[in-house]
Amino acid sequence: MLQIIIQGLLLSGLYALIAVGFTLIFSIGRVLNLAYGAYLMIGGYSYFYFSQILGLPKIAGVVIAALIGVVTGLLIYRLVVKTLKGDSVAIEIATLILAVVLQAGVVLLFGDASKILLPIIPGVVRVEGAAVTYNVLVATVASWVILISLYLFVRRTHMGRAMQAVSMDVKGAAISGIDPDRVNMVTWGISGALGAIAGVFFASYTQLYPGMWVSPLIIAVAVVIVGGIGSIIGTLIVAHVIGYMEVIVTSAIAPELRGVVTMLLIIGVLVLRPKGLFGREEL
Amino acid sequence: MSFLEFDNLSAFYGKAQALRDISFSVEQGEIVAIIGANGAGKSTLLDSIMGLTKTTGDIRLEGKSLAGLSTADIVKSGVGYAPERFNLFPFMSVRDNLMVGAFTARDDIEQNLEAIHRLFPRLEERENQETSTQSGGERQMVSLGRALMTSPRVLLVDEPTIGLAPKLCDEIAEVLARMNRELKMTIVITEQNANFAMKLASRLYVLESGEMRISGTVDELRDDPRLMEAYFGH
Repeated sequence: MLQIIIQGLLLSGLYALIAVGFTLIFSIGRVLNLAYGAYLMIGGYSYFYFSQILGLPKIAGVVIAALIGVVTGLLIYRLVVKTLKGDSVAIEIATLILAVVLQAGVVLLFGDASKILLPIIPGVVRVEGAAVTYNVLVATVASWVILISLYLFVRRTHMGRAMQAVSMDVKGAAISGIDPDRVNMVTWGISGALGAIAGVFFASYTQLYPGMWVSPLIIAVAVVIVGGIGSIIGTLIVAHVIGYMEVIVTSAIAPELRGVVTMLLIIGVLVLRPKGLFGREEL
Repeated sequence: MSFLEFDNLSAFYGKAQALRDISFSVEQGEIVAIIGANGAGKSTLLDSIMGLTKTTGDIRLEGKSLAGLSTADIVKSGVGYAPERFNLFPFMSVRDNLMVGAFTARDDIEQNLEAIHRLFPRLEERENQETSTQSGGERQMVSLGRALMTSPRVLLVDEPTIGLAPKLCDEIAEVLARMNRELKMTIVITEQNANFAMKLASRLYVLESGEMRISGTVDELRDDPRLMEAYFGH
C-alpha cells in the first residue's frame, strides 16, 4: 500500500513536469503540439551528449539541454506554427510528422540502440521498506520546484499575466499593449525548455532510445484531454490521477498495461466527456 | 493640427468595405460622440484606430501617424480602448485584469490604480473577484479601468451604455465626465443612444452605412431635423 502511495507520488510528479509544457501551448493557442514528445527526446540526448560523452558537469548538461529545447520550440513556432496561422489540424499533422523526422535525425546521430543514462545522483534510500532511488527522488523534487516556479511566474509577473491574458482573450490582450506574437514566442520557448528538462529526467527514469518521444506525448495528450484545460494546477491534479492509475494497474494487474490504460482513458473521456473534467480556459 | 485626426479613413473586412473615406478630428480635452445605428460602422471605426482592421488612409495622434503600427504600439503611443464586448480575462481577478493593462505603463501603476479606485470604489472592494462572475456594469468598470491602466492620452469607449439599466447609464456618464474633468482625458465614445451622447459630448458625428453624414456641436445639432428623424423617432 505504502509502496503504491510513494511510487504514485514520484511518478505523478514527473508526469506533471512532462505535461506542463504541452498544456501551456494548448492553453495559449488551443492547439496540440504533437512534436512536444520530441523535446523530451532532444533534451535526453543533449544531456547524454554533453554530460556523458563530453563529460561536462551534470548541471551544465541540464542547462544546455534546456537551451536546445528553447531553440527547438522557437524554431517550430516560427517555421511551422506561425506559418499555418491557427489551422489546428494542419499544425497537429505537421508537428506529428516533425517528431518522426526528428527521431530519424537522432538515429542518424546516435544510432538505433538504446542508451543508459547514468543516474543524476546515484544511490537508494529506503522509505518504510520501499526502495526509492535518489535519481527518482531528485526528478520528483525538481519537478515540483519547476512547477511551483512556473506557477509563480505565470501569476506574479507581467509576462506571466500577459500569457494568461493571451490564453483568455487575444483582442483584450492586444488592446492592453501586449504583442500576442511575442507572448507566443516566449511561451513556445518556455515549453521547449520544460520539455527538454523533463526529457533528461524521463530518460534517467527509463532509458534513452529514439522512439522515447511517444509515451510522454501520450501522457501529455491525456492530461490535456482528461483535464480539458491548460492550467498548471489542473495539470498537476490530472497528472496525479494518471500517475496513480498507472501505478495501481501495473502493480495489481500487469506491468505491460502501463501506457495502455492511459490511452484507454483518453478514448473514454473523448467519448463520455469531450470537454474534459474541468473545461476551463485558464493558465 | 488637431489632437486626433482622421484622413480619408476606409476599412475593409476581406473585400467588404465597412468604412468609406472618413475624415474628422478630435481636439485635446474634449468628449466627442460618434452616433449611429447598429451596423453603421461605429465599432469598426474604433477597431480601425487600434489597428485591428485592414485600413487605408491615415490616423494621426498629435501629428504622429498610427497607420501600420501594431495594436500594442498604438496602445504605447497613448490610445486606450474599452471595447463593446469588454474583452476582459474572465478567470482572472479584477486586480489582475487591471494589472494586465499595465503591461506597457509599469511606472504609472500606483498612480493609475489610485485614480481608478477613486473613480470606481467598487473595483477596490471587489479586487479579488473573478470578472466572469461580475455584472455587466461592473465589467464595464473593469474595462474602463484596464484602459486607464495603459496611461492613455485619448480614451476610446465603444457603446458604454449598451445593455445597462438607466441608473447605471447615468453612473457611467458621470464617471466619463469626471475622467474628462479630473484627468483631463480626451474621450471618443460611440453611441446608439443620442440622448446619452448629447448629455456627455461637446461634439457629435453621425455615422450611417460606413460614411460620416452629419457633424456639429451638440448645440448646433440639438434641433437638427435630420438627427431628430433618425435617432429620436419623432
